[in-house]
Amino acid sequence: MSGYLKDLRFALARVFAFPAYLAFAGVVALGAFLLAVWFPNLGLIAEVFRGSQAPLGAKLGIAVSLLGGIATNFSLLSAGYTVAIAVLLGASTAMIVYLLQQRRLASAGRNIAVGSGGAASGALGIGCAACGSLVLGAAAPFAGALAALPLAGAEFGIASVVLLSASLLLVGRSIARASACSLAPSGSTQQR
Amino acid sequence: MRVAALLRASMAALALFASSAAAQTDADAALVERYVERQRAAAAQREQHEADARAGALRPVSKARDHIRGNPDAPVTLVEHSDFECPFCKRFHTTLKQLVDQSNGKLRWVYRHFPLEELHPAKARKEAAASECAVELGGNDAFWKFADRFFELTPSNNKTDIDTVLPRIAREIGLDETRFAACLASDRYARHVEEDYQNAVATGGRGTPWSVIVSKSGKTYPLSGAQPYAAVKQLVDLALEEK
Repeated sequence: MSGYLKDLRFALARVFAFPAYLAFAGVVALGAFLLAVWFPNLGLIAEVFRGSQAPLGAKLGIAVSLLGGIATNFSLLSAGYTVAIAVLLGASTAMIVYLLQQRRLASAGRNIAVGSGGAASGALGIGCAACGSLVLGAAAPFAGALAALPLAGAEFGIASVVLLSASLLLVGRSIARASACSLAPSGSTQQR
Repeated sequence: MRVAALLRASMAALALFASSAAAQTDADAALVERYVERQRAAAAQREQHEADARAGALRPVSKARDHIRGNPDAPVTLVEHSDFECPFCKRFHTTLKQLVDQSNGKLRWVYRHFPLEELHPAKARKEAAASECAVELGGNDAFWKFADRFFELTPSNNKTDIDTVLPRIAREIGLDETRFAACLASDRYARHVEEDYQNAVATGGRGTPWSVIVSKSGKTYPLSGAQPYAAVKQLVDLALEEK
């Protein structure tokens, strides 16, 4: 485990030394956070921006004030994993893009798969944050099962944090190992 | 390996698309732009139809049936669909109390039942019916006294000891305990609660608290969740300005 953490530290330093990757990670994290907090009210935001004749400042004020929902419409647990998911998603997406740029396609593909699982699980977890959101929606057939879970669906958010963390560790290792040369069994030096 | 091949193929396809897009003539670009514009307009129209349908589904406010707090003739109405066992409804109850108190008669708050059986089996519906029994015995004021005290006393998330709490609230707000117990046992408000539930779903409710803010002209703003005071206040102000 400490080997993975060492590789992750190295990879983070390497990737985020480039301001462009840092900015990209920030944009993805912010986008994920905004989507999570606004998710229950996307229809309202559309209505306010399209259907109202109020000044743009007032419309933006409503959208911004809805972000306060992270404190009032989320439990402490769900707010915590929502922020964690956004940060992890931003960091791992930027690092996967770095891998793609380095043409490490096989490693990138593996990490995209793990990261996507994390993001999908996170979406379900976030949906369950409010009382019954999703329970009466698309996941209606699973409503009973979700409600029966000890944390009423927050398990998906926690699973998402675990999967995205795993994705980050894997992508960190891929980046760190791509930067080092190791001895092949035959004894010849080769790039891994 | 398969993922890598897939990625390579996707990237090649993207590169091909990019090069062919670059070769588009101005006329083609205009055609694409018009198509996108048409699609966007159709989506906006679809959304508008859905919003209109939801707004149309909202049962009109009735002073005889509904529980109204604030000025009954206020220009803006906030219809809240709520579940007595939902912790977010408990939080939102305080927000709305503050909002109505500070609205200078411009906002009325209408409370309707939306008990989520999947999350709060048996208790949420029973508590909703109990609040209707409070109305039967003490009128509109008794409903609000019941709701305020209920949210103060109970822990939410289906952890309420209803056998103790409901008689206690009835006693505290001055209702006849025997008649309250008889009303509760009769289950005569089950249909009333179910009608509220069905209307909440018809208006687009997918969780609680679910609110619809209605301006004087009838324009509606759907609001999901226990949103902060500032957000709800700005929405009410927006509804007040609707001509």
